[in-house]
Amino acid sequence: MAELITALDLNFTVQHDEFSLSINEKISLSGITGIYGHSGSGKSTLLKVIAGLEKQAQGKVSLNNDELLNSETNIFVAAQERNIGLVFQNSRLFPHLSVEENLRYGQKRNKNGVLQFSEIVELTQLENLLDKPVTQLSGGEQQRVALARAILAEPRLLLLDEPLSALDDKNKIVLLALLEKVKKTLNLPMLYVSHSLNEIQQLADKLLVISAGKVSHHGDIHEVIHQLTTNNEILHQTSLSLTVKEHLPEYGLTSLVLGEQQIFIACDHEPNTEKQVRCIIAAGDISITLHEPIESSIVNHLQGVITVLGKIGPPDGSKAQMLITVNCSGQDFFVTITTWSAKRLSLTLGQKLFIQFKANAVRSLR
Amino acid sequence: MSLLLGRIFSSLIFIGLLFCSLTVVEAKNHVSPEENTVILNETPLRIAVASNFAPTLKKLLARYNPNQIKFPDPLIIPASSGTLFLQIKHGAAFDLFLSADRERPELLTEANLALIGSQQTYAYGQLALWSATHEIATDPFTALKNNKQRLAIANPRIAPYGKAAKQVLESLALWNSYKTRFIQGINIGQTFQQTRSQAVNLGIVSNSQLILNNLKGVIIPASLHQPIEQQLLILKRSQHIQQAQRFVKFLMSEESQQFITDSGYTTLNEVNSELKTDE
Amino acid sequence: MNNTHPDILALITTLKMAGLTTIILMLIGTPLAWYLAKMQSRAKVFIEALVALPLVLPPTVLGFYLLLVFSPQYLPGQLWQQATGQQLAFSFSAIVIGSVLYSLPFVVQPLQKAFEQLGDDLLEAAAMLGASAFDRFFTIVLPITKASFITAASLGFAHTVGEFGVVLMIGGNIPGETRVLSIALFDHVEAFDYAQAHIISISLVISSLVLLSLIYLLNRPSINKSLKSKRLSRG
Repeated sequence: MAELITALDLNFTVQHDEFSLSINEKISLSGITGIYGHSGSGKSTLLKVIAGLEKQAQGKVSLNNDELLNSETNIFVAAQERNIGLVFQNSRLFPHLSVEENLRYGQKRNKNGVLQFSEIVELTQLENLLDKPVTQLSGGEQQRVALARAILAEPRLLLLDEPLSALDDKNKIVLLALLEKVKKTLNLPMLYVSHSLNEIQQLADKLLVISAGKVSHHGDIHEVIHQLTTNNEILHQTSLSLTVKEHLPEYGLTSLVLGEQQIFIACDHEPNTEKQVRCIIAAGDISITLHEPIESSIVNHLQGVITVLGKIGPPDGSKAQMLITVNCSGQDFFVTITTWSAKRLSLTLGQKLFIQFKANAVRSLR
Repeated sequence: MSLLLGRIFSSLIFIGLLFCSLTVVEAKNHVSPEENTVILNETPLRIAVASNFAPTLKKLLARYNPNQIKFPDPLIIPASSGTLFLQIKHGAAFDLFLSADRERPELLTEANLALIGSQQTYAYGQLALWSATHEIATDPFTALKNNKQRLAIANPRIAPYGKAAKQVLESLALWNSYKTRFIQGINIGQTFQQTRSQAVNLGIVSNSQLILNNLKGVIIPASLHQPIEQQLLILKRSQHIQQAQRFVKFLMSEESQQFITDSGYTTLNEVNSELKTDE
Repeated sequence: MNNTHPDILALITTLKMAGLTTIILMLIGTPLAWYLAKMQSRAKVFIEALVALPLVLPPTVLGFYLLLVFSPQYLPGQLWQQATGQQLAFSFSAIVIGSVLYSLPFVVQPLQKAFEQLGDDLLEAAAMLGASAFDRFFTIVLPITKASFITAASLGFAHTVGEFGVVLMIGGNIPGETRVLSIALFDHVEAFDYAQAHIISISLVISSLVLLSLIYLLNRPSINKSLKSKRLSRG
């Protein structure tokens, strides 16, 4: 690829009728940055501003100090000059061109010419579809072509605007795997917009959350998930990446390193070649016990310390649940238990205890 | 809403009643035609007239006053002679036809559509040379010779005034030099309009048009062309033969003929006298 | 020119006028239709009404005003005279200009509709792949809306061939310059030459029917699909 992009500087506002988007953020780009928000939050508009498709933005946008928009000095770089790719929610394949012609469309107009056509076709598994008329492709196939087409234009930054929203579950899985492959093989920074946190968690290393036209969270994905959890904005969960210790295929388990402790997760049928595994554990799947549960069928038990005792519940003041943060070997875990249990166990801050969860409770993403 | 509907409904009934009462009154008024009786239900005389003569005809009608019986005013239908001819041939309900030429009345007589003996000349067209852009020489030959640009004439193939214009140019041996420089109008009316627009510097128009618009041109001597006989006829199938005959008599009266001449046409006497002076 | 049958000459003049008018209309109609398709402001309604005006006005009205405006009395006629040394009224150029105005909506409206139907999606995608505005027009818009271009050109051409009222007012019936088929036809009728009139009329009716049938055939959906797949299999 061209020079390594490291930074996207945004400082702008967009005003449409009743909707306004105001962003002042510096996004460092490496790998995939997820952009999460509800419908109408402004995330698609954000992509449009970066892409150069939104004409009403006022302010400054620059990519690696390359000014794309500067309202003060009347600079507006046209979309076709920005060398930024965009994969839309609908594939937008050109109906009058074949699959191959679609793929070559961007490649022809790119000045760099580093990528090999056949490599990308192989990467996206489109060899058999090259001659097919675009109208005969399934939804999943179309999005694969759209992705390959965008990549072949060799952009320095790839934007994806809810690329999987229109696909069925089966195709979503296929495309997600493909995106991961792309991320690993090509050194191409991506901004991935979705209203599905699940998709973002599988792909992104960083997360930016947009709410009502403003950025509410921005940072490492695990940190942001945790912030969202403690703010009760999403389903309470623990998000972390751990290194593989060893595989135990005869038991269908893999153990991961957590400081001096370890976590067991259910492993894939194929022995996982990854060194790092990303895990999600729902707070409701973890329980607390005061003494080490040696004789329990529950595989995972970790020693830790209570760092936060939070109350969660309905606005009427009655608090039936509590969100407890337990730190084990330096890693925060979130646990939801009933207030009643907390009282029964007389939980206090700083208290040493154990948390428990089954191997199956750990959702592993890699 | 129902109030509005009620109002609409009662208005309709009122209009309906008004209409009925009028027809009753009209019916009552239909008495046998006697002198001094008002005859309102008789349809007016329909006079089909060539457009170029229509303004003159209108003025004549204003002086038409049959002092005995009141008629509803005659209806004037102006159009090109060609159009009127076709309409009459296909059954149009006119009573009188005033053409701009002689040919069409003849064809209608041949087709047995004319009242026998009614075909006659009511006026002779008079040509004039005119420019809306500059002064022209008082001698038509000089004026035409000096004009190196285009000339507006009516289409000689289809318009009687155009045919005469061609004859004039041929008489003056100027036809060949003008052959590629014509602006042809479909009738003398369009030719006048084109000349007036100043888009063409010189035109051969009808003197009646100039007089009607208070303009002055150079009259072209009748000796240079065949007389432009404008003839009329009464249609055989007319329902108002008597009325039509009365009107024709008025039209051919000395007074009316003088008026026609003053309006820019010429008379048989003048035509003949000019021919005599040339001999 | 002297040896050509006058009606053949009228045919040639008609074809020249209609051909030139169509070319001019495609050149100015395309950007106009594009502008109207993409424009959002309130002025759009007014411009659309202006473009559609020749559809409802009697041709003689247009001819009447054009005669005025082309004559040396008014600025346009004067400017033309200064620029070319020729008079604008009663010239081939005059009837071409008149035809361009008269047939404008027949070219602009089908194109505008096609551009609106195309929408922005594909064009945005093409821009993100590095295609400039002109590039997008020739590689995306044109191939996809091809049928509408053909329709617009054919309608503009056919409509101009049939024009009478405007040419009657501003033409002057000059053989080889402004005497077109519709005028020649009128002349024959006025001169009682019905045989000749029939020949011209029937020819016009037949050729118009053929042209219109081709246009409708071209625009049938099934034809479009088979055209697309033919193109794609070329690879």
